[in-house]
Amino acid sequence: MVVSVKRLEKRYGPTLALGGVSLEVEPGTLFGLLGQNGAGKTTLVKILLGLVAPTAGEAALLGRPVGTSSARREVGYLPEDHRLPEYHTSASLLDLYGALQGIPRRQRRRRAAELLDLLGLGGRERLRIRGYSKGMKQRLGLAQALLHAPTVLFLDEPTDGVDPVGRKEIRDLLLEERRRGVTVFVNSHLLGEVEQLCDRVAILRKGQIVVAGTVADLTAAKASWLVGFDRAPPAGLDTAGLRLEATDEPGILRLHVDGAAAEADASAALDRFLAAAGAAGLRLRHLRRERASLEERYLEIAGGGPAA
Amino acid sequence: MTPPAPRVPVHPSTPRAFAAMLRDTWREFLDARVLYLLLLAIVALFAVALTGRIEALPGGKQYLELAARAMAADLSGFDLANQPLTDVAGRLEGAVYQATGAEPEGADLPGSPWRLTLTRTFVPLVVPPAGDAEIAERFGRIADGELWRVTAIEETGSDWARRVGSQTWRLEVAPGRDLKMLWMHSFTLLGGTLPMTGERGAPLGLEVLILQKLLATGIGGTILLLVCVAVTAAFVPNMVRKGTLELLLVRPIQRWQLLVFKYIGALLLVAGLLGLLVGAVWAITWILAGIRSAGILLALPSLLVFFALLLAVSVLAGVITRSVTSALLVTVAYWAVLFIAGQLHNQVVESRIREESVGKPRPMRFADTLRGRAPEPQAAPRPGRTPLHRTTLGRVTAAVYAVLPHTEDLDNLVDRQLMRDYAVSGPFRALMESDDFSWQSGVGLSLLHTVAYLGLACAIFSRRDP
Repeated sequence: MVVSVKRLEKRYGPTLALGGVSLEVEPGTLFGLLGQNGAGKTTLVKILLGLVAPTAGEAALLGRPVGTSSARREVGYLPEDHRLPEYHTSASLLDLYGALQGIPRRQRRRRAAELLDLLGLGGRERLRIRGYSKGMKQRLGLAQALLHAPTVLFLDEPTDGVDPVGRKEIRDLLLEERRRGVTVFVNSHLLGEVEQLCDRVAILRKGQIVVAGTVADLTAAKASWLVGFDRAPPAGLDTAGLRLEATDEPGILRLHVDGAAAEADASAALDRFLAAAGAAGLRLRHLRRERASLEERYLEIAGGGPAA
Repeated sequence: MTPPAPRVPVHPSTPRAFAAMLRDTWREFLDARVLYLLLLAIVALFAVALTGRIEALPGGKQYLELAARAMAADLSGFDLANQPLTDVAGRLEGAVYQATGAEPEGADLPGSPWRLTLTRTFVPLVVPPAGDAEIAERFGRIADGELWRVTAIEETGSDWARRVGSQTWRLEVAPGRDLKMLWMHSFTLLGGTLPMTGERGAPLGLEVLILQKLLATGIGGTILLLVCVAVTAAFVPNMVRKGTLELLLVRPIQRWQLLVFKYIGALLLVAGLLGLLVGAVWAITWILAGIRSAGILLALPSLLVFFALLLAVSVLAGVITRSVTSALLVTVAYWAVLFIAGQLHNQVVESRIREESVGKPRPMRFADTLRGRAPEPQAAPRPGRTPLHRTTLGRVTAAVYAVLPHTEDLDNLVDRQLMRDYAVSGPFRALMESDDFSWQSGVGLSLLHTVAYLGLACAIFSRRDP
């Protein structure tokens, strides 16, 4: 496991920031950590990076205790609201971070030039950072996280302040990193982006993980079907436990699987309903599976609704 | 968009991290715009100093007469700074000397050789006649000072005159080691339009001492240190602010190393600037007065030890408060406390020296002697007035100063060296030569405090969550 966390707890005085979090992340995963402000996302990441000491519990990164020098060599980090020293140029800043990371001079200069070109900052190496736009600073922040080609990347709002084209480029870059086996840990409020990017997500609420799993699992848990018949179904038709919702078109219905019904049960219920409809003389015109968006699930879960 | 090949060798090393932090510190330092403005002020100060003219005033005869009069007593080994003139009485040998017919070879300047006639009048039978070698050895030497060197001597008086108590020599003398420092010079600024001395001028040594004090440890040094304190006060708060600190702490480097490397980087940079300042003062003294004494170079370690202390205070305040303004205010307040405590302590020491010297003549002063003033005996304190060192304020000052870094000692020790180099006496000589000040306590206590503040800053920084 790249990340292994067991019953992790962190208190800031009387405030409980993390209350017994357990989590495991496999290598090569693009993992999304979601939650409202103050849910404990940043605290969890800072503990994994060794920046903050946990009050209780265990945390390991790449099989080593967090905070060790060997673990830090393989970690790249982009904090939220980062403030790059403005007296630097992008070239001198990457040179500083590269040297602190332990990259020899020639290699860090070559790598910095490559990354600046890749992130669209080529040709501006000698410009002071105080003259950069927010998007440029964000790209430079990403460059410093990637500088030493880390095994694990922790990115807090990686596309914050970046224009749509830049966001797409960053998403592609992260997907490419994952393809190379890098584990990417993303904190983001842009749920559409997380849905596009991440393989697995966890939602934190008040310092506890309330749901974790693949994006597909999470969105499927609130599935529905859109069914079109040649006419409106007769009253008293067997719904096989599904909830029917009428639409503006008389022959079109939305079938909801409420609660935490298993995928197999839901499919069996649909089969029974379609058989009953056929027996009632209805002809199927179209059938489409609908999933809840990650945003809907997030609002339901992180906002205080029932956990799936 | 294709990511670059991810083959990046990573070998964390302390020297590499140290060099990187030095470069980072210097970049941050040079980024401060106020630095250039205030450095410009120092350059302007030096430019004004370079418009100065130091010119010798005619006056060789008075130094020859002084040398002759001083031979009345044996002043070899006499401590001019600490022994009162009453002690000279015990050294009188029953003869008086007079210089006449003095003529320079060339201009009446401190570098010219002179010819003169020296007459010795003594009590026959009681005091023996003097030989040429003795006169050549003693003429021009006053205690540890050397005004003249005798290069040729010939006794010209008759044997009859010698028998009745009068000897005469024809002397050729060259300027001694200290003559130039005691010679009266005029000092003007702005190409001679702004006189800085009176018509009679002042001893060159005194002028040079004041010039060097003003530029190195006075206005020039204070401005430079103030600029450096203002610029470096931002270093640690900028480094530990949220969003910046995390980017440093995720690197495979110890937290205390980040702080110490930043500290050393700033210190080395300021050492370079102070070196330039002191070097420039030394060069100006050479250009204006032709003096290449090394004493002023002591101002460099003195100022650097003081700045190292202030920087450690600034780092500690920066780590605790994370605020540039607070770090700056705390450091300047600390500086003010040290200054006030140091000045008060000087007063306490002087008060004690005065009490110990009541009724005794004050230490001999060359300058006073040349002006024709007699040293005044030390007056007793006015009735009903308690000497400072016996008051509560004096005792508290002594106690407080005992635990504070002795930075005022460092300034006094530089002054002591300059006074010795430039044969300057004056009212502060006794204080400066006091045993209360030493390099060991000045440097030792300052470094002890510096290490303590820095160590505390590192301990707090290493334990606190970002």
